[in-house]
Amino acid sequence: MTRELEPFGGRTRAAVVAILLTFALVSTVSAALSIWTTSRSKDRGTVITVAARQRTLAERYVAEIALARSGETANPGATGRLLVQSANALLDGGPVPAVEGDDDESVLPATSSPRLRAQLLQAQRLVSDLTRTGSAVLAGRPVPTNLTASERLSMTDPVLRLRVLAALTSNVSLDATRTIASGTDRNIRDLITLQVGLGAGGLVVSLLLAWALIAATRRQTAHFRSLVTSSTDLVAVLGDSGCRYVSDSVVSSLGRSRDELTGAGFLGFVHDEDRPALEQALADGGATTLEFRLQNALGAWRHVEAHLTDLRSDRHVRGVVVNARDITDRVALQKELSRQAQRDNFGTQLVEALEMADEERATYEVVERAMAEVSATAPMELLLSDSSRANLEQAAVNAAGAPGCPVQSPFSCVAVRRGNPVVFESSEALNACPKLRDRPEGPCSAVCVPVGFMGRALGVLHATGPANRPLDANQVAQLTTLATQAGARIGTVRAFERTQLQASTDGLTGLINRRALEQELRDLLKLGQPFALVVADLDRFKQLNDRHGHEAGDRALRVFAQTAEHALRDGDLIARWGGEEFILTLPGLDAHAALPVIGRIRAALAQAHTGGHPPFTASFGVTDTSAGETLEELLRLADLGLYASKQGGRDRATIGEPPTDGPALAAVAAPDRASGRNGARKRPAIQDAAREDDPEPRGAEIR
Amino acid sequence: MRLVPIVSRLGAIAVLTAALCGCGGSGVVSRDGTVVGISERDFSIRAPKIVPAGDAVLRVVNRGPDDHELIVVRAEGGSLPMRDDGLTVDEERLEHSEAGVLEPGNPGSVRTIDVHLAPGRYVLLCNMAGHYLGGMRTELVVE
Repeated sequence: MTRELEPFGGRTRAAVVAILLTFALVSTVSAALSIWTTSRSKDRGTVITVAARQRTLAERYVAEIALARSGETANPGATGRLLVQSANALLDGGPVPAVEGDDDESVLPATSSPRLRAQLLQAQRLVSDLTRTGSAVLAGRPVPTNLTASERLSMTDPVLRLRVLAALTSNVSLDATRTIASGTDRNIRDLITLQVGLGAGGLVVSLLLAWALIAATRRQTAHFRSLVTSSTDLVAVLGDSGCRYVSDSVVSSLGRSRDELTGAGFLGFVHDEDRPALEQALADGGATTLEFRLQNALGAWRHVEAHLTDLRSDRHVRGVVVNARDITDRVALQKELSRQAQRDNFGTQLVEALEMADEERATYEVVERAMAEVSATAPMELLLSDSSRANLEQAAVNAAGAPGCPVQSPFSCVAVRRGNPVVFESSEALNACPKLRDRPEGPCSAVCVPVGFMGRALGVLHATGPANRPLDANQVAQLTTLATQAGARIGTVRAFERTQLQASTDGLTGLINRRALEQELRDLLKLGQPFALVVADLDRFKQLNDRHGHEAGDRALRVFAQTAEHALRDGDLIARWGGEEFILTLPGLDAHAALPVIGRIRAALAQAHTGGHPPFTASFGVTDTSAGETLEELLRLADLGLYASKQGGRDRATIGEPPTDGPALAAVAAPDRASGRNGARKRPAIQDAAREDDPEPRGAEIR
Repeated sequence: MRLVPIVSRLGAIAVLTAALCGCGGSGVVSRDGTVVGISERDFSIRAPKIVPAGDAVLRVVNRGPDDHELIVVRAEGGSLPMRDDGLTVDEERLEHSEAGVLEPGNPGSVRTIDVHLAPGRYVLLCNMAGHYLGGMRTELVVE
């Protein structure tokens, strides 16, 4: 069975109570004995008086008898009665009559001591013999011989007999008096002995109890000491002149010596930022709780949470007691949690920002802003491979600059190969990436995080910092988040763009299709961008198809597309409009300026007619944005130009003019049969009318 | 048997102890002389009638209830001289014939007195007032 440890247990209290009880008991017994003895002595005093009086009375009795016999006035009878009454009272207790002119009546207790009783009994017998003899002498009778007290009186003289009896009575009374006195003395001696014994016994018991008390107190002190010293809580007492006490736990947790910590030294180990608050709390006194940092022997800061108790008025302490515990781990955890939250926040914001970036360029901008958020000072760059996945190019750069990693291809990068972030403490280290060495900025640290999508390496996010002081773990974590999210977005955007491209491209020629072009043209018109619009149509295409087959037709279409595309400037657009019809958009040019471009196309077409396939030509209709405001208007004008070119003998370009008279006007007014063939957009009937005669072999038109 | 020697040895020890104690009645001779047992009480003295001459130890027991003394006086015939009070023996006049005096003792006390007894007649008495005349006297013959 385990016994509970009771630091505040009742042992001490029990010892104190026992000491008090002992003293109370000893005192009570002592007082009771004194009272008892005193009361007995008081009775004894009366008894002694009466007993002593018997001597006088016996002698007086004899003298009075002598007087009475000689005729003098005397009353021996009364004295004799007094003697008898006193003797009876001394033996068995009772009232004693007063002696006239001497003392008062008194009441005696019965005698119990055997020795005294024997003496008083003897005295009673002798008094009886004395008074009987006295009575006989007074009456003139013969003296009695039947004596009761074993005395053997041989003399016959009655007076001598009386005197002897009186002497015997007197003697026995004296003996009784002595016995009583010696008994009283003995009582008092006994009392003194008892008192001394009680005192000594009480003293011994008290000493034993006091020893027990001291032992209990020591044990308690030991309990408390062990509680304080073995506790991991840090305990210190700070007085006016500095630290007065530190517990072992403080010494061991800070790794500093007691001498260092006590005195004025203690506050020196408190963090500069925390010291004023602590000093204020010490000055204010009162119970309070605060946190502060203490520097240990290694120079690291330990966070402690301390409870202050003002015991300066307690003369045993004379200071403020600081009960503290080390919360460094808790503080670290809180910091980590807040960093985590910050990272999560960064990640959330990044994802949202990237979602809004619908093309790669916008994604790069988000990456650059995120870089600045990770670190405004560290050089950073995002290196991405092109579609061939062979070359790495700088896609995004931090505002603080770019490290300029010379890596060429994704798989030359160690981080990409490993598929994990790599941190290099110093470019000078043996295991540092060789691409970090000999940079213009000198030795550096670096963080390289691979960027990928769906398991495919896209590139690397690269950041540098001062040598041996790389970005911290939190920043590395943020860069990892950035690399992951940016990789995912870039991959998605690239896939989307590819799909977009496929949806807007003509499968045969690789040119954008009519729908994509329409969108482009509407955008250009909306922006008010001037451009020239050219409609091209291959001459006698149906004939080509019919005579040489569709392969020849398809090839002619591809040749035209390539030739025209080649002749165009950057920024010019060419689209397959449908069938053998193409539309070219030349931004920044008017219709006249577009004619030389068409000339180059026609020349190139003439050059391209090689191999076993028949040559072909194309007719062009031209207009520009100064001639119309809507796409439909422009297309109609360009069609008019094309019509004119066809009419004019094909293989030529004509700027479409609004018809003012003649057949052109009539043709414009002709029924529209083209809507069924060309889809949603209404085509001018003029064009259709011109094409009606395409199937006809008109070799002269081909030049 | 081993029990027999033990029993006989114990018996011998008991006999020896009794002899050494010298606790005997009147007339037992010890190293200091004859022990004479004397008993006093109200109002008589009991003693052997005859004791041998020489050194003697008087062993006096007071049986009470009064205090009693013992005076040993060589008294060749006749009565002892009395003081003027008529109640006590005149000890001063007997000074030269006193063989020993034991001062008054309490009832129950047992006391001894060393005396040298020359052959002759002696009186043992208690001279407390009235005790001699009350009967506390006896004669002793030393031979």
